[in-house]
Amino acid sequence: MSSLKPTRPTPARIKSGSTWWRRTALLCVAGTIAVLPLVFTDAYWRTNLIICALNVMLALGLDFVLGYAGQLNLGQSAFYGLGAYVSTLLIMKLGIPFWIAFAGAIVFSCLAGIVLSLFAMRLRGHYLAIASLGFAVITYQILLNWISLTQGPLGIYAIAPPPALALPGLPTIDFHNLANLLYLVAGFASLSYLLLDQLIRSPIGETLTAIREDEVSAASLGINCGAWKVFAFGISSAVAGAAGCFYASFVGTLVPDAFFVTESFTILAMVVVGGMGTLIGPVCGAILLTVLPEFLRSIGDLRLVVYGVAVTLVVLFMPGGIVQAAQLASARLQRVALRGIVP
Amino acid sequence: MTAADSPAPEFAARNAGILLRVQGLHKRFGGVHAVRDISFAIAEHAIFAVIGPNGAGKSTLLNLLSGIYRPDAGSIVLDGVDLTGLSAHRRVHHGIARTFQKIRLFRRLSAIENVVAGFHIHHDIPLWQYVVHGPAFRRNGGRCRDEAARLLDFVGLDRRAHIPAGSLSYGEQRMLEIARALATAPRLLMIDEPAAGLNAAEVEMLLDRIQTLRRSGITLCIVEHNMDLVMKIADRVLVIDYGQYLFEGAPAEVQAHAGVIDAYLGGQPQ
Repeated sequence: MSSLKPTRPTPARIKSGSTWWRRTALLCVAGTIAVLPLVFTDAYWRTNLIICALNVMLALGLDFVLGYAGQLNLGQSAFYGLGAYVSTLLIMKLGIPFWIAFAGAIVFSCLAGIVLSLFAMRLRGHYLAIASLGFAVITYQILLNWISLTQGPLGIYAIAPPPALALPGLPTIDFHNLANLLYLVAGFASLSYLLLDQLIRSPIGETLTAIREDEVSAASLGINCGAWKVFAFGISSAVAGAAGCFYASFVGTLVPDAFFVTESFTILAMVVVGGMGTLIGPVCGAILLTVLPEFLRSIGDLRLVVYGVAVTLVVLFMPGGIVQAAQLASARLQRVALRGIVP
Repeated sequence: MTAADSPAPEFAARNAGILLRVQGLHKRFGGVHAVRDISFAIAEHAIFAVIGPNGAGKSTLLNLLSGIYRPDAGSIVLDGVDLTGLSAHRRVHHGIARTFQKIRLFRRLSAIENVVAGFHIHHDIPLWQYVVHGPAFRRNGGRCRDEAARLLDFVGLDRRAHIPAGSLSYGEQRMLEIARALATAPRLLMIDEPAAGLNAAEVEMLLDRIQTLRRSGITLCIVEHNMDLVMKIADRVLVIDYGQYLFEGAPAEVQAHAGVIDAYLGGQPQ
């Protein structure tokens, strides 16, 4: 395009978030994670925080395929379960070391996601949702009924936590200690965030968003929509698989009911409440929807009603989720501040 | 428009090369023959226009050329490469780009993000740098931003770069679609109804930009309703009606052709 008009100064940036701001935020998050087990010293809250971190991973994974690539995937519970069962079976039946089984779980879940997306490639919207929901149901039924392998509803017991880490020059890190386990899982949740954030801020971000916004248009720019959907599904289910592996070694028992399809909807609610198409949204949503029901425990089964009403209200009045609410609030604050300065 | 901008002899001389050759194209939807046995050739560096009344099959023809529809019969060859069986996204790699009659921008993305999405096939980043952003990644990003800014400037949207595409005016959206298509660095740019909904000043700018594009070596295929615009800029005009070839020739010949006048103004069936 050399013959076109002369270049004007380049617009400052394409995407929001300067490097400085990101580094500061990263340090704050790392600091918060480091302090968390010191503030919450009881096993109850440490357990909840680990579940928070697991849900953050699941929600981040779903957001990548739903919020960015625009594919409504209700199979997240299945990938979560596959990760948990594959890693546990590799460790307990074949005696494979934990971290290799962890990698195996990620690869297996990723492949399952790719296979599902290959079948579902021609589907979109509700049809894809139903197909992925079917996949979740089938996976649940297999976990339930393949008794010789998974012990079905009886479950698998006495799953060991990740082996102690002995880094040279440091005291051994034992994962029977919930604080250490929290550091490990929260660390991997942060790692997932960083990985997805890097992908989103690369040209892949625009590619996936283009597919979400308009597939015909995306194809007219040379984007192979099918291949990129498969990619998004693969990444999304790999993250869920990693979360599943940690879930098994953290809880110590595996029953298929933990991966029933309702789990998919819970994860979906986290993404929607937090704000689809942003990465910080699902993190907020996952934390809120994990912690909120715990606070409501005192009112018994009524908490499910409160939970349901809260999610409905968000979807009805704040479709952009927490992120949108925060943006509106900050805009309003700025206006109020301006009014204070300019009478 | 000045005389220097009108089709000059130097282009005629270079027109020997054929960029796109279409032969015997057929497409039917159920019982409707949307496109029936259409053949034509577009010369390199030409401005080729396809005109016809509403429902003549112009947009279907464009969808066949860009790969959104597969033809039932016929062939599409771009500079010796048979595109007939290729999907839309593969054709972009061979140098075909298009805009849409009903605007299909990524409405929630900003203008510049729309253009950057158009660079999809031109990114030059080693795989690992997608995860760990290194020097090649930053170089690529800088190149994209510069090119995108230049393309936005070219279509007069440099001051609107960070506005969501859906919030731009209709005319601006049309121009943004052209900028986005240009980001793929096409050899053949197909523009569907570029002047629809534009005001007179915007049409003037569009004409000027189309001439500039041709001078920079891009071949253009314009599907258009507005006869005035076609007569001003096209080198060759293909007229279709009811999905069928009606006439092909220079603009002056088209204006004089009785069948074309009938098709447009409604005359006695022949």
